[in-house]
Amino acid sequence: MRYDSPFADRITAAVFFALGASMAWGGFIMDRLEIRQIHPASIPGLVPMILGVALMGCAVLLALGAEKAQRDSEDFADGSWRNLGFTAIWSFVFAVGLVSRIPFVVATAIYIAGFSGWFLIPAAPDTRGRVRALLFVVIFGAVTATAISALFRYGFLVRLP
Amino acid sequence: MEGLQSFIAAIITLATPTALFHVAWSTLLGIVVGSLPGLTATMGVALLTTLTYTMERDTAILVLICMYVGAIYGGSRSAILLNIPGTPASAATALDGYPLAQQGKAGYAMALATSGSALGTLIGIVMLVLLAPPLAEIALDFGSFEFFWLAVFGIVISGQLTGGVTPLKGYIAGLLGLMVAMIGAEGIHAHVRFNLGLHQVNGGIGLIPAMVGAFGFAEVLSVMWRAKPVLVKTETTSDRVLPRIADLLRYKFTIIRSGIIGTLVGIIPGVGEDIGAWASYAAAKKTSPERDQFGKGSQEGLTAAETGNSAVVPGSLIPALTLAVPGSAPAAVLIAALFIHGIRPGPMIMIEQPTFIYSIAAMLVFATIAIAIYGLSLTRLFILVLKIPREILMPVVFTLCVIGPYALTQRVFDIWVMVGFGLIGFLLRQMNYPMAPLVLGIILGDLLDKSLRRGLILSDGDLMPFITRPISAFFVIVIVTSIMLGLPPIRRAFARITGSGRKEGKS
Repeated sequence: MRYDSPFADRITAAVFFALGASMAWGGFIMDRLEIRQIHPASIPGLVPMILGVALMGCAVLLALGAEKAQRDSEDFADGSWRNLGFTAIWSFVFAVGLVSRIPFVVATAIYIAGFSGWFLIPAAPDTRGRVRALLFVVIFGAVTATAISALFRYGFLVRLP
Repeated sequence: MEGLQSFIAAIITLATPTALFHVAWSTLLGIVVGSLPGLTATMGVALLTTLTYTMERDTAILVLICMYVGAIYGGSRSAILLNIPGTPASAATALDGYPLAQQGKAGYAMALATSGSALGTLIGIVMLVLLAPPLAEIALDFGSFEFFWLAVFGIVISGQLTGGVTPLKGYIAGLLGLMVAMIGAEGIHAHVRFNLGLHQVNGGIGLIPAMVGAFGFAEVLSVMWRAKPVLVKTETTSDRVLPRIADLLRYKFTIIRSGIIGTLVGIIPGVGEDIGAWASYAAAKKTSPERDQFGKGSQEGLTAAETGNSAVVPGSLIPALTLAVPGSAPAAVLIAALFIHGIRPGPMIMIEQPTFIYSIAAMLVFATIAIAIYGLSLTRLFILVLKIPREILMPVVFTLCVIGPYALTQRVFDIWVMVGFGLIGFLLRQMNYPMAPLVLGIILGDLLDKSLRRGLILSDGDLMPFITRPISAFFVIVIVTSIMLGLPPIRRAFARITGSGRKEGKS
């Protein structure tokens, strides 16, 4: 999967133009700290304005050159949307949903067992194999979560989230 | 002479059983990290940084250096056996390494890769010891005007050389990194910018969460997306696993040239090991009598690529130590680690800690010895490591991506930053935006911002000192020339004249 195409370039160019314009405008309306009588050349918004304008310029060039732009000729084999979707969603659920809401060691055990189990259990050839895979991922998740948590908690004295 | 004495003294100081133990485990860990597709040197150094908070300063730096050297070398394993570079640095290695493995010479390919890596690093170390002290002295003459252009130079060159066929995307990545650095309190008046009402970003976006996200989480997503790699079926353990001295002598000029090219590429801010490997590979292909064998299992090509990428490691530390400007993405993390452990890299380093550069060189020597020993003795173990299923490895990697950045500040917000950068980094990678300029932008943003405004205060708003001072003028000429060379018509004309480059190496 590579979204290196003229269409993708035009969409991202629009996003970058908007981002650059926002930053330039944000820099322009930023407090110039006159009350502190600072040198006018050292206003905090100066560099954001320059960067914003530079990004807008690059976005325009990107959009204008989208059609003719040289692209890597390498062929990238199609991957799996299913794998990508699961990895992104499950990892997001772990990092944003589970961590800091339940004890870290429990969240990690659930995440690791769930991640490995999603791939390994259906891949087993028969029921017996699936049961073995289930047992493996549960034990692997518990042991790894305990080891990582113990390393950070007792080895590096980190108060776990 | 004084430098040589300091270097020997640093080696003797480092040769303690405890230090050797740290060298042994961290280099081995680095090789394992580098050899597993999806675990890059940057990710390894970033994650290991989070494990060094409680370590003594020198020990922490030692293990990070060993991880860096080990990971860059380790990438050659999967490049040779799987045709998938373990790290981007080994992409050129795969071109000839994998065909050699298919011919039943995987062991010998790994032996050549080991020798090339070790010799490349040694050449880089010599150049580090020779070049870093005078460069630090030159850097003492840098003022705000020069530092501003140095930051611009880093972004432009990094964007130019890592942007692939279109440097524009490299420039955009660099600008995005600079914009990220604008978030939070600025360094002159402590005015908080672009915090969007979130008090957590008043201090800025942390480099470690951003890098762990962009290189760790994004890589986890990429690995799980891709089709499963298949280990080469050819017998891999019966052929010779020690390099022939005759072969090394035959390629001595290739090794020396690749070592020098790699080190010089390393010195250029934010360019990195992959470019060092490609440049060395292209130079070897151009001059080799057996150039028709390149891409089909050329031993010389493999040696050039591995020597080139490993020589970048010491090279990238030259600007990192003397200018606080990283030569590569892992060096960027190393700079962050140096600050965490109370070392201030930059022009003052030779005054404040005159022996530190030699200590780093000594650490690199030990790491090099370790990769040579492991590389020539543990071939079978590394083949086993490559068989670890990604379904088991990746959730562990992501867990470390979550807890690592959190451990530094103990703020859950940094976990969210990591996730955000991971998702954005993944999307940008899919659209062929390089990550190195982005990271360099985050690091150099503060320097660029402060230097420009300080310079303008010093000159009372006059722009002339930015172009008339000698070092500034030099930077301006290089930057303008680089941008001009990036313009499509000029690039095409230049390619026609030289008829070489990175793409040629790939073909």
